[in-house]
Amino acid sequence: MAIISEGATPIALDGGRKARANLTKARIRWVIVALALVFGVVAGRLIQLGAVVTDSTIEGQARDLITASRPAILDRNGLEMAVDIRVPSLFAEPRRIIDVDEAVEALRGVMPDLNETWLRNRLTGEKGFVWVKREISPAQRERIFNLGIPGLDFVTESKRFYPSGTESSHILGAVNIDNQGIAGIERHMDGEDVALLQSIGLARGNALSPVNLSIDLRVQHVMYEQLTDALTRYKAVAAAGVMLDVRTGEVIAMVSLPDFDPNNPVSAFEPVEGRKDQRFNRITSGIFELGSTFKTVTFAGALDSGKVRITDEFDARFGVRFGRFTIDDFHGKHRVLNASEVYKYSSNIGTIKLMQQMGKDDFRAFLTKLGFDKRVPFELPEMRNPNVPEKFSEIVAATAAFGHGLSISPLHMAMATAAFVNDGYMVTPTLYKRGEAEAKALYRPVISPRTSAYMRYLMRLNALEGSGTRMNKAALGYRAGGKTGTAEKVVNGRYSSGLNLNVFTSAFPLDAPRYAMVVIVDEPKRENEQSGVTAGWNAGEVTGRIIQRAAPMLGISPDFSEMLDANLVPVELR
Amino acid sequence: MIRTLNVIMVGTSLIGLIGVYGLKYSVEETASEKVRIERQIERQEADLSMLKADWAYLNQPAHVAPIVARHQDALGLAPTTQRQFGNLDGLPMRPIKEPDALALDALLESLDAGIDPIEQLIEMN
Repeated sequence: MAIISEGATPIALDGGRKARANLTKARIRWVIVALALVFGVVAGRLIQLGAVVTDSTIEGQARDLITASRPAILDRNGLEMAVDIRVPSLFAEPRRIIDVDEAVEALRGVMPDLNETWLRNRLTGEKGFVWVKREISPAQRERIFNLGIPGLDFVTESKRFYPSGTESSHILGAVNIDNQGIAGIERHMDGEDVALLQSIGLARGNALSPVNLSIDLRVQHVMYEQLTDALTRYKAVAAAGVMLDVRTGEVIAMVSLPDFDPNNPVSAFEPVEGRKDQRFNRITSGIFELGSTFKTVTFAGALDSGKVRITDEFDARFGVRFGRFTIDDFHGKHRVLNASEVYKYSSNIGTIKLMQQMGKDDFRAFLTKLGFDKRVPFELPEMRNPNVPEKFSEIVAATAAFGHGLSISPLHMAMATAAFVNDGYMVTPTLYKRGEAEAKALYRPVISPRTSAYMRYLMRLNALEGSGTRMNKAALGYRAGGKTGTAEKVVNGRYSSGLNLNVFTSAFPLDAPRYAMVVIVDEPKRENEQSGVTAGWNAGEVTGRIIQRAAPMLGISPDFSEMLDANLVPVELR
Repeated sequence: MIRTLNVIMVGTSLIGLIGVYGLKYSVEETASEKVRIERQIERQEADLSMLKADWAYLNQPAHVAPIVARHQDALGLAPTTQRQFGNLDGLPMRPIKEPDALALDALLESLDAGIDPIEQLIEMN
């Protein structure tokens, strides 16, 4: 071995063993490379899969939003006013539909009202999701399911259902097809927190606790029934009413006719006898010259100012002259009247004198104190600004004293009336349940308890001897009282003597006031030849009938003892 | 040594393979079962919501009132008038009646004599 290798380049031959070892090393290397490649591919695919964002939206909206539910709305006694029902909605995935013509044909067999070309266009293409029809019936769902067309499927949506139908339409409002509130308390709830809950996907299933409103559905029904009756009985164009709990400000009932069906929100835009935009909420978003009912406000202000006493007398022999105009009385007595007679006979002259004795600026300031300058803070979005002149001239103040030349909503009037009988404490109205302790924290005194006692006396007096007797006849025993108002309507810029807006503001039971109510009847006609057209004949009678039906439901039992009325008379007048 | 180890390892992997395979299928089955139950719950919830809505509708004064009106004549229904309400103070006291002393004496005498009027009454029937 040593001889051969000497002086020459040694030839190195690997032994068999070494060669095998090298070969193994190379093989291992290749295997490692191959494995690395395979795992690399797998890892790459995993990353690719992870990066894919699955489109869970339905036509741009999160799926949760569409299937989101709304809380049930209950009345104050727990009766449902609005509930969610689960209904199937049909959608299609056009890219998975194999034979569009066949699908169109089959679908139209189940739902013939679908337009053929529209449906064909809808189902053609590469889109991942299109609605075919929202909110179908379970029977339709079954039939479509049995057709077995690929690419068609259902989503269970929540649909709002209002079991009371039209009866509480203006309170509830309506929702759109995506279950978002578009009017009434539904819209208000969205503004509060429901929309937020829905947007973060919490509002699913029955997770939302129901909302209790202040409405008493039974009273609401009575008011609705009586006002519907008033529409036909007096051939009126509109009627509306609102009842407040004077202690808590809770709205017990609120009706405005003509109305709409919240289950079919489009009906809110249907014309009434050829006239458009008649279905608005007259209680909150209608502003009216409330006529003589405003005298209650003037009296409250004047008596509370201390410049007018309940025993004062006013010369109502002659009309009040302002330049060319003379303001006279409708039911003129033309003699000297004392304060309670001014109220009882609804004397314009007397009320103007009363206001003048108080001072027109003080009177204007009193209206501001009552919140007549701005909207009533209330949950419903349908509100309108009142129209009260910034400054009162002599004549404007005079007409304002008996409710002309300024427009407020009936809700303003109800709130003020409630405060007048509730020892002078005003509380903002609400549609949600509110306890008495909670309400007391919101109390704002507008007149003194003493003046409040005067107002209770005056309102009851008017029911016993004045224009409210027709109301009292129906509501006998419930110690109701109130003031009528027959306001001539402005037609083409002039007061028309033929068309009236009749109002009745009331409160009951006046010995311990619990409820205040405003009822308006728009353009009433005579019920029969013997009846009149002034407010006592229609708005007053309606009020009486509502009280007669609703008072027992509200836990007020009739009491005929004359002591109760006698106790209302102020000491000065006994 | 290595051979035994290999055999054991091949054995375990085979068992593992079969196990994973079975597990996969059972999971798939459970998943589809879950989907089925979810669908059922969804359907029942939908039915329940319908029934609740029905119940609410049937309880509405707006629904009950026409029924009352329809049967008003047959049942003699009318709105309650104010005079129909009363309270406990309005109730007169029960008239106080003196016990009939003579009749009581007669009864006691006849009992003493061994005649029970009630027993006679029962026997007569």
